Amino acid sequence: MSRLSYFARETLISLRRNLLMTIAGIITVLISLVLFGGILLLSSAVDHGTEKWKHGVELEIFMKVNASKSDIDAMKSQLSSDSLVKSYRYLDHKAAYEEFKRLFHDQPALIESTTPDVLPESFRVAPVTARLTEQVAGEYDKRPGVDKIMTAQQQIKNLLNATRWIRLIFFVISLALLLSSLFLIVNTIRLATFARRREIEVMRLVGASNWFVRVPFMAEGLVQGAIGAGLAFGFVWTLKVVISNVLNSQHTLFSTFRVTDSDAIGIGLLIVIIGAVIGTLGSAIGLRRFLEG
Amino acid sequence: MIRFENVNKVYKGDLVALKDVSVEIPKGEFVFLVGPSGSGKSTFLKLLLRDEVATAGRVLVAGRDIGRLGAWKVPSLRRNIGCVFQDFKLLTNKTVYENVAFALEVIGRPKHIVRTQVPQILDLVGLGKKSENFPTELSGGEQQRVSIARAFVNRPLILLADEPTGNLDPATTVGIMRLLDRINRTGTTVVMATHDQRIVDAMRRRVLELDHGALVRDQARGVYGVGS
Repeated sequence: MSRLSYFARETLISLRRNLLMTIAGIITVLISLVLFGGILLLSSAVDHGTEKWKHGVELEIFMKVNASKSDIDAMKSQLSSDSLVKSYRYLDHKAAYEEFKRLFHDQPALIESTTPDVLPESFRVAPVTARLTEQVAGEYDKRPGVDKIMTAQQQIKNLLNATRWIRLIFFVISLALLLSSLFLIVNTIRLATFARRREIEVMRLVGASNWFVRVPFMAEGLVQGAIGAGLAFGFVWTLKVVISNVLNSQHTLFSTFRVTDSDAIGIGLLIVIIGAVIGTLGSAIGLRRFLEG
Repeated sequence: MIRFENVNKVYKGDLVALKDVSVEIPKGEFVFLVGPSGSGKSTFLKLLLRDEVATAGRVLVAGRDIGRLGAWKVPSLRRNIGCVFQDFKLLTNKTVYENVAFALEVIGRPKHIVRTQVPQILDLVGLGKKSENFPTELSGGEQQRVSIARAFVNRPLILLADEPTGNLDPATTVGIMRLLDRINRTGTTVVMATHDQRIVDAMRRRVLELDHGALVRDQARGVYGVGS
């Protein structure tokens, strides 16, 4: 018990003594983790929005609302035996209605006035390679019962391309900032050990164990990392709420782009863990040179 | 208690600090280490603290070869060796009481031990009434008493003193020597490096003289200089 209070006291004293450096460390941890968490959040939103175009799905074949059972069955057997088609998924009226409800969840009146049977059945088709998309589309265009064929929208593809670059750039920036926050913490700890070199000298003279000398400094780095990460978590959560609101307010292309709470919590936990690791690692490096031997 | 077996210490740049030193110091003895600056006195003490490791030969404390001690065992060695320096090495932001308590706290001694031991040792060194003062408010002699209290509060087997009276006037020096003598009488082995001829001559204890790293004299009830 007396050890715990000793460590707490020493850590607090040291944090206060290097207040400016401590704040600088916390802020860089904060900014880098907010960037990092923000980009993960955006990625997960994009992932949700483009889910249906994943696994190589390149085109959707919509049947006429009144397409007959035999038309559907013929399509199924045709798709199954087609050597250009890798796989397909059939969505009946009910599945279409489920998706409709999800897309327009904020417009109950629209859902109310719609019944499953007015929504067309469809097939989501993944060709063997994306280059065959047009060929496959042409092949099924004139089949009986087919209403229209939609290929993955150019907008979606552009978005995926753009976000890939944005993701990469932000990822590199946040990595650079994480690195600089690590160095800042290393520096803070070095300053702290220097400021307390006489105490450390006495501690080692009277036979304090190495970990006893180290713990307050390790705790100091950990506290910086954890506070930065905790604040970053708050910012990311706010960002999540903002993104959700923006996405919900328009029902065009982005209506399927959403961020779930579990996504945000997962990202938040990751951020906190990274913050703690950076803090501890920074202290360990900062202490290495001073406490050798 | 302490044994040097053919100890050599060479620093970087071929600076020879100790040359083939062999000596045995039994438990409870009071030993003066004399010799000019650079003769190897400080190295002798540093080897005992394992601040330095012998280049050749063995240094034994309580039967253990401390040159072969793992790094994690060094703290437990130092808990058995108290240290006093010419510059006191007191923490100026702590009171007298806190300075002494610090030595117990950082080796994990429980609070009730600290609360009973510290006032007791402060009484022993004659500073019972100044426990709430800061080191800067004390005279040199008083500061050295605090440093001795800190070195002795954990009841070490050995007390090393490196020029403990180097900064003190003769009258104060006498008081410090009385204190060290008293500590020695409790069974603690005391090794004191000094330049102070008068102390050595007055105390008439065992004298080890180093010169350019070699042990040139080992005299049971010696004086500072040969033939004086």
